[in-house]
Amino acid sequence: MAIYQDSIRVQDCFGTLHKRAGPSPPAVSFPVGRAAYSLGLTASNGVERQGLPERGNQGQRRQRRAVEPRTERMTVDQDWTAVYPTAASFKPNSVPLPVRMGYPVKRGVPPAKKGNLELIKIPNFLHLTPEAIKKHCEALKPFCTEWPAALDSDAKCEEHFPIQVESKAYVSAGPSLRNPNARIITLTVKLSSLNLDEHARKKLIRLSGERYNKDTDTLTITTDSCPMKQQNYDYAMYLLTVLYHESWKTEAWEKEKTRADMEEYVWEDSPSQKNILETLLRMRPLGEKEEEGEVREELLGRVEVQEYKDSVTKLKNEGETETNMQQYKEAVKKLLNI
Amino acid sequence: MTASMRIASVRLLSKTRHYFSSEVAVQPGARTVHHQPASTRFVFTSVRCNVCLIPVAFLHKGRAYGTQSSSVTVTEEPDLLFQKLSVLVKSHDKAVLDSYEFFATLAAKELGLTLAKVFEPPKNIERLTLLKSVHIFKKHRVQYEMRTHYRCIEISRITGSTSRVYLEYIQRNLPEGVAMEVTKTAIEKVPDHIQMPLWSVQSQEKQGSQ
Repeated sequence: MAIYQDSIRVQDCFGTLHKRAGPSPPAVSFPVGRAAYSLGLTASNGVERQGLPERGNQGQRRQRRAVEPRTERMTVDQDWTAVYPTAASFKPNSVPLPVRMGYPVKRGVPPAKKGNLELIKIPNFLHLTPEAIKKHCEALKPFCTEWPAALDSDAKCEEHFPIQVESKAYVSAGPSLRNPNARIITLTVKLSSLNLDEHARKKLIRLSGERYNKDTDTLTITTDSCPMKQQNYDYAMYLLTVLYHESWKTEAWEKEKTRADMEEYVWEDSPSQKNILETLLRMRPLGEKEEEGEVREELLGRVEVQEYKDSVTKLKNEGETETNMQQYKEAVKKLLNI
Repeated sequence: MTASMRIASVRLLSKTRHYFSSEVAVQPGARTVHHQPASTRFVFTSVRCNVCLIPVAFLHKGRAYGTQSSSVTVTEEPDLLFQKLSVLVKSHDKAVLDSYEFFATLAAKELGLTLAKVFEPPKNIERLTLLKSVHIFKKHRVQYEMRTHYRCIEISRITGSTSRVYLEYIQRNLPEGVAMEVTKTAIEKVPDHIQMPLWSVQSQEKQGSQ
């Protein structure tokens, strides 16, 4: 090494000093008689060092010759996927485009691509040209499976596969790959696709509470209490199973269901029915003495009474609308022969 | 559907890539099954692939790569069905999202997927106002903002194996500074233990009479 060549001197075991190459600063040396050597460490550096670092042909540090950029040798119909097979930073000598990027100085233009940090900083898509994407997809096609042709509409999917399970996955850069929100599972099912009778359906709706949507007839179960996605999915299926089987059971205390607990208005045994029967009985001409039960049955069987029953039920269940009120008016007029 | 109509029950079989085995590639057989009046049975089996074993750099080299021993074997396992696959990408840079959208949509078309919707949800700007100086000067503040742009690509009716392939390809080529959120809606049959009630009305009556 050029710096130390003139400083290192070796003494052989007899203590004879070899000739020094030239004037050099005093070096540390050991006493004669032993296999002594002197270290090249000098007290003062730099100023008294002999000569300058060598340049040119003999120097071990060679100047790199400027080679022509690869773009000069590129043909128009080359295979670009060989130039940028994977994601790589922008290399101005590999991209044969006259790209300019950056803020121009006064009365200037954006800087050229050579040595342009702005072009290197940004993510580039040079490795994802349409040709490259097509090649990748061709290689990936053997691993894909086709969607069954019979399930071409949402209605058919709903019919054959009524349960929908929604889950999310997250990809982002950060200290950790995991995202705790990925464990949440949402299970949606329409009650019309389950095997339920009237009592079971009403009980299930009561049991699910806020999770049931009356307009779309869907039960939505969201689980996030377990740490893993699979566990949450199992828990959601378990909840669905439990709800289903419990709704088929009839407990002893369910017999005590009163009129106030009913979900819908039922006309039988209601004040409306009693009133109308009383009214109609009074409307009958005097003198006819018949059985109470028979009269009731006969009156209930009449078409006008049925119409009245429908209109009242609609009014109570659906609320007051134009059509409902009209229907009620017509029914009353017919009953009372107005 | 009339009884005379044949419903092709595609038996999608699982495919596994063995890196160092020399098996011949087995193509999945699509069998046609005659329509059964009681119920149509759909049996779907999944495709498993280990694309991560093969570096992307080799994908463009057709023949050189093909000589490496790799095969697609088919195994039996029910395949998932996704009614909807929603890919939402977020970034601070809109141009990057434009390019990524082009890439993702072209990849979906090449793989034969149906793109239901490709749209741009409105951007979200988070602003904060801080004091400009370290000490006092309350009237002089500086304002920063962080803009998050979104892009959503919705794919409808995709199988589990295809979704795995597509998502892995998309995610491996996710650029720097872009985050992704994938929402999958899988559809399933009603499981067997919910088909019939354990406690039906008749059995309860029997218990009551006893």
